[in-house]
Amino acid sequence: MSGWSSSADGLSPQRAIGLGPTVGQVEAGPLGEEVHAAHVVALLALPGMGPARLGRLLSRHGSAERAWQQVAAGVSEAVFGQLGRRGDPVALAAAWQAAAAGVDPRARWQAHRAAGVVVLAKGGYGYPDRLVGDLEPPELLFAQGDIGLLGHPTVALVGTRRASAYGLRLARSWGDALASAGVVVVSGLAAGIDAAAHQGALDGLERSGCTPGPVAVVGTGHDVCYPASSRALWRRVADVGLILSEAPLGTRPEPWRFPARNRIIAALADVVVVVESHERGGSLSTAEEAAARNRVVLAVPGSVYSPASVGTHRLIAEGAGVAVSIEDVLLALGSRRPGSTPQPLPPTAPLGDAVRSGAGPMAEQERNLLDALGWEPTTLDDLVLRTAWSLDTVCAVLNQLQRLNLVTQAGIWLTQRGD
Amino acid sequence: MVSLSIPGEAMLASISSSVLRGVDGVPVTVEVHVAGGLPAFTVVGLPDAACREARDRVRAAVLSSGLRWPQQRITVNLAPSGLPKAGSGLDLPMAIGVLVASGLLDSQRVADVAFLGELGLGGAVRPVAGIVPLVEALAERTVVVAPRCQAEASIVGRHCVRAAPTLAGVLAALEGSAPWAVGPSPLDRADSAAPISSGDLADVRGQPLARRAVEVAAAGGHHLFLVGPPGAGKTMLAQRLVGLLPLLEPSVALETTKIHSAAGERLPIGGLISWAPFRAPHHGASMAALVGGGSSWLRPGEISLASGGVLFLDELAEFTPAVLDALRQPLEEGRIRLARASGSVSFPARFLLVAASNPCPCGNAGTPQPCRCSVAIRRRYRRRLSAPLLDRFDLRLGVQRLDPERLTIGGPEESSEVVAARVAAARELARHRGVGANRDLAGALLERHAVLGSSGRALLTDALRQQRLTARGVDRVRRVARTLADLAGDAGAELRDEHLSLAMYLRAEPEALLGVEP
Repeated sequence: MSGWSSSADGLSPQRAIGLGPTVGQVEAGPLGEEVHAAHVVALLALPGMGPARLGRLLSRHGSAERAWQQVAAGVSEAVFGQLGRRGDPVALAAAWQAAAAGVDPRARWQAHRAAGVVVLAKGGYGYPDRLVGDLEPPELLFAQGDIGLLGHPTVALVGTRRASAYGLRLARSWGDALASAGVVVVSGLAAGIDAAAHQGALDGLERSGCTPGPVAVVGTGHDVCYPASSRALWRRVADVGLILSEAPLGTRPEPWRFPARNRIIAALADVVVVVESHERGGSLSTAEEAAARNRVVLAVPGSVYSPASVGTHRLIAEGAGVAVSIEDVLLALGSRRPGSTPQPLPPTAPLGDAVRSGAGPMAEQERNLLDALGWEPTTLDDLVLRTAWSLDTVCAVLNQLQRLNLVTQAGIWLTQRGD
Repeated sequence: MVSLSIPGEAMLASISSSVLRGVDGVPVTVEVHVAGGLPAFTVVGLPDAACREARDRVRAAVLSSGLRWPQQRITVNLAPSGLPKAGSGLDLPMAIGVLVASGLLDSQRVADVAFLGELGLGGAVRPVAGIVPLVEALAERTVVVAPRCQAEASIVGRHCVRAAPTLAGVLAALEGSAPWAVGPSPLDRADSAAPISSGDLADVRGQPLARRAVEVAAAGGHHLFLVGPPGAGKTMLAQRLVGLLPLLEPSVALETTKIHSAAGERLPIGGLISWAPFRAPHHGASMAALVGGGSSWLRPGEISLASGGVLFLDELAEFTPAVLDALRQPLEEGRIRLARASGSVSFPARFLLVAASNPCPCGNAGTPQPCRCSVAIRRRYRRRLSAPLLDRFDLRLGVQRLDPERLTIGGPEESSEVVAARVAAARELARHRGVGANRDLAGALLERHAVLGSSGRALLTDALRQQRLTARGVDRVRRVARTLADLAGDAGAELRDEHLSLAMYLRAEPEALLGVEP
């Protein structure tokens, strides 16, 4: 109890206990359970504070306020012995005390509100149902966007950052198809597969305007976009979907945060699909967490020569389901949630079918070029060789097909859209 | 004939010559003053080291030629004295000046004669670099040079070019007691030096898009960026390109020859460079090597040596980014201006840039094989190439390693000769529009000669909306479509859809080619 009256940062007992609105203050401060949340926010901002340490700290001290006072007083090294195996307890106590000096939990809490970040406390309003009975539920979740999205069926599309063209194409097209079927796509906003999955879901939303937006669970604070190159995608997801994080504002990316983030993705998803994973990829940890939570894990097979599919092939060998079409995913989702089998929307191919069957207004040339294109990524040079047409003709017809969205291009690779 | 100098009486000689400044010659008067006093030999008028060392060469050459060296005070002034002089070309005029001033040669004999040459200690007259611009700067009717320079010096065509192998030979010929040496006579322009054997376009098989890109680059002067894994034939394509370019026009040929001459490069037999040059500097090239420079003597760089022809930069991403960004001004203006404390010069640099790069350090990004590079490494590789530089390329395309089976499909491909004829015709069309090549079409000229009809406009609008084309790319696509139409013999101002389509496929976005998301 001597902790907070002699606190190093000079926190007055009144402010430390009360946290209520003081006279003359316009904006209302946190009340009730918000007091708890405000202290957890402050605790989470301490260096090296993860879910496990936070949980032990809270159970030891009974409340977040008490825990915060002990940390700020620097007298709590006795409890650090059980806070984790790594590190020196005395040094950690000193580091925390230094980091806590001068921090006002109330100001921290209000900074989040000012930034448009909603703080969801465990058991409180808006906290996702799927996390309530979880093995390791986050004490707090920081959310930006539409919390209601988590009421829909969810599929996590995850995979490596170093993806092949095959994986990127598949993640994007399945993200699109899942969104079009009314399924929320959950992923981690990392580069590679994650970004492609989100992008696919956004494509679906853009086309129809009424499909659910994607959900992203990130490992950094809401104001720290990682990787920085995903800034535009990040903003878009926050606009039309939902971004969740366990970390308060200002949290930088640290390696240990991503596996912790993966457990939330696994917990939020009804079905986890691993699109591509290297031999020791982070998405394998998502699969493990999902299996521990009794979620369906599906893996997408790839080429046996591709290092980006070694991890997914191992998952299959260990008993994961095989997903070779979007129907596999929807079936798994349907068996998981009886009565809520989503109705796959008709694929966006009526125009393509018209062309392919010859019923549409398209000329024979267009059909012939689609036949020559086949279903594998192909270069323009190959098309010229296969059709034996002049380069000019191939380009003119191909451009027509691209304008109709029947063919997409990535670098030099042309692909027929079949989804 | 030989007037002995009277001791105590000062004698003065004034001989014409020239020195290099950048790629241009500047006339210089070598004044020699011989007068009584302690024997000495001083050179004033801002000579550089090579020029100051001329004293020893000149004295030795005069003595070796069996002539008397005046045991008097000799002062050589190089006028205009404010201009720094570099090189050894003033050896011969200094020696002649000493001979005249000491009375060994009648000053009437050197009236209206200019001299250019380095002297050996034994009296031999040696060639100097940059003889073409040096001779061009001279107003005198007769120019005396080393025999090996005679053909090169004759290119200018205004002068009576004389040559003699030794200082004694020059003296004898000036006095009329011996004939001038007969150097090789300049050959006709057409059969002057054959181009570097660059291979025939018929060897490029199974890559119709790349073949067309090379043809378009040659016809429209469009800069070309090739991205592909090792073994995709990028270098082979670049070499074929130079063989498609037409012979240089006479004025361009002379300018190019001057640059090569000033840089001390070996000129072809006959002297004049009439074929488009091909320069492929290694990616370790320094700023001075690439754009030109140096401390006292500002030497033209690779971009100027490539003027009128092709500059091929292989492994573009391995060049120092600062060096690459220095290319932007010449790409825009066709000249490079170098400023140093000692003064500034401007070199022509109107080259066709062909660049090649791997898609990423391991070479597999954007190919069916998985890339071993992390996203961060690919981004870092991409960042070495600045967006403004990549924007200068009208043609950007990916090339793939060839399957052996593809090499055997289809009939024989067109040879370089057939394609070069089409290129020449297309270049002629561009000349009628008042530009050297379609690359330079801009503003009102582009509006007049690359008209978008309603269907072409719709085609480009769709591509913009689908983000297959950026707004900056529209004009470049129009220019390339114009060249495609010219090559097809279609002189109508309105662009056709097939040419616009093809032009878009010839201009891929660099991010897609380099395997990073934009």
